[in-house]
Amino acid sequence: MKKAESHKAAENGSRAAHIVLTAAVIYTLLPLALLFINAFKPQSHILQNPIALPQPFTLAYIRDAARAISFAASAGTTLMLTAVSIGLIVLTSSLCAWMMVRAKVRAAKILFYAFTAAMLIPFQSLMYPLLSLFDRLGLKNLPGLVIMYGGFGLSMSVFLYHGFLGSIPLEIEEAAVIDGAGPGRLFFQVIFPLLSGTTATVVMLNAVWIWNDYLLPFLVIGNRAGRRTLTLELYFARLTAGQYGNPWELIFPAVAVSILPIVAVFVFLQRWIVSGITAGAVKG
Amino acid sequence: MQQYYRRYFWFLTAPAVLLFVLVIALPFLTGVLYSFTAWRGTYFAGGKSVFESFVGLENYRATLESVDFRAAFTNSLFFTGISLAAVLVSSLGFALLIGMVRKAAGFYRAVLFLPNLLGGLALGYIWSFLFEIVYTRYLFGGEGALLNVPFFANMLQSRWQALTAMAIVTTWQMAGYMMMIFITGLNNIPGSLYEAADIDGCTAMQRFRHITAPLLLPSFTIVLFLTLANCFKMLDVNVALTEGSFNTRLLAYQILRVTRDFSPPDYGQAQAQAVIFFVLIAGVTLLQVSLTKRREVAL
Repeated sequence: MKKAESHKAAENGSRAAHIVLTAAVIYTLLPLALLFINAFKPQSHILQNPIALPQPFTLAYIRDAARAISFAASAGTTLMLTAVSIGLIVLTSSLCAWMMVRAKVRAAKILFYAFTAAMLIPFQSLMYPLLSLFDRLGLKNLPGLVIMYGGFGLSMSVFLYHGFLGSIPLEIEEAAVIDGAGPGRLFFQVIFPLLSGTTATVVMLNAVWIWNDYLLPFLVIGNRAGRRTLTLELYFARLTAGQYGNPWELIFPAVAVSILPIVAVFVFLQRWIVSGITAGAVKG
Repeated sequence: MQQYYRRYFWFLTAPAVLLFVLVIALPFLTGVLYSFTAWRGTYFAGGKSVFESFVGLENYRATLESVDFRAAFTNSLFFTGISLAAVLVSSLGFALLIGMVRKAAGFYRAVLFLPNLLGGLALGYIWSFLFEIVYTRYLFGGEGALLNVPFFANMLQSRWQALTAMAIVTTWQMAGYMMMIFITGLNNIPGSLYEAADIDGCTAMQRFRHITAPLLLPSFTIVLFLTLANCFKMLDVNVALTEGSFNTRLLAYQILRVTRDFSPPDYGQAQAQAVIFFVLIAGVTLLQVSLTKRREVAL
């Protein structure tokens, strides 16, 4: 009797939970739904009735917007920038963390504290000296941007690798060394494959941030055409077209095409992305 | 083996150390040094080198007296306060609710998480449309709208309303991420504890107070830390929604813009603001972590 009652209570609770969560899902998706509906409409239709479906359906605004933000070029730049930066972060931080865990030297401890402390430093508190330094080094360009992302992505990534490497038994490495493996082979053929879970987290955490970043490209690349990232193109497109009110017929399709790659990737890799990124926060 | 590792230690850590020094350590330390000088970005006023243009605490005095900086400070506190409360309540709420459903949990998780992957600037533009048109005309604007709540109509055109609007966008974007941290925390609580509680005849409220809440504290520590740090550092939403008009600069935007408030640009003062910004963020987050860590219980 009691069991049946509690079962019923759980059933009711579950129904209430479904209702609240469905409301939350609608609230979460509403801006995105509006975005994709209005990406196919002229300014007057958008302002007249933003919730009406596009009538007639046309890709003209998407095409115009893609041209305004030079979609192909800027998406290519953003992809390259993100990929190369992440490569740099993964390689340097995993090697460094490996050595920090294995070599019992005082410098390893000092490095660990330095990387951890660096996570508290907000970008704004060093951006001006950083830019002035990179300007003098002739690095106010895409390679410089890669180096900056490398530096900023480093601390968190070293921290994550450091946490995981401790759990890999030393015997595996000893066996490889006895077989005559140098540090390069030892790392890339033995250690690095074992780190793949952490690597996935590191890649995703940094990818989301670098892909969407506005401030660093704005400061380093500015409005130099041909080297702008997607976010930067979006910013300048709105700035130039929006001197007199908001050009919604440009903003909606431009935002739509610029976030489409991420939404597409998310739909396919949703499970891995969510768990990978959360793992980063929980371990960090 | 130790010999082997020691031999390669500096060689293999060198790339990371080099990046760290070049991008973080060196700029940060020079930044602190420059905050005591009349740095103008490309030159040092009053002398040829850093040391000749030393002005002592002048930049800090000017910063503390600056109306703009004080306004940005207040704005950041207001914005962070609202966002923190909203993110905490909604993310914990979502996590607990998802724990109650058997079907579609994965779907809810994925959808609520999605906004976190999208850029603050891009989504900020869409939200500015929502605030200007949808909120005003359809939901809260009176006359023809669903409700008449003036505070939520034309939100981007006055200071406190615009800051609240930024908090709304931030909550929308961050809640799903924090929810995942809570879900992970909830999953780590052994089910046997709840079974024992059921046998002892605990009410749902008692279960939450005596089992869920204390064992979820580590997740609280992380969520508080991330929300505090991210809200204090918020920039993109500020740029997308108001670009600082109506006196709505947050601290991050203030530091980005302060150099243009003076002619010639006063990078020395900007740097003093940047150092205060760092002390504030480091102080608040460290204090928070040490406070919540102390209350955590070991299982």
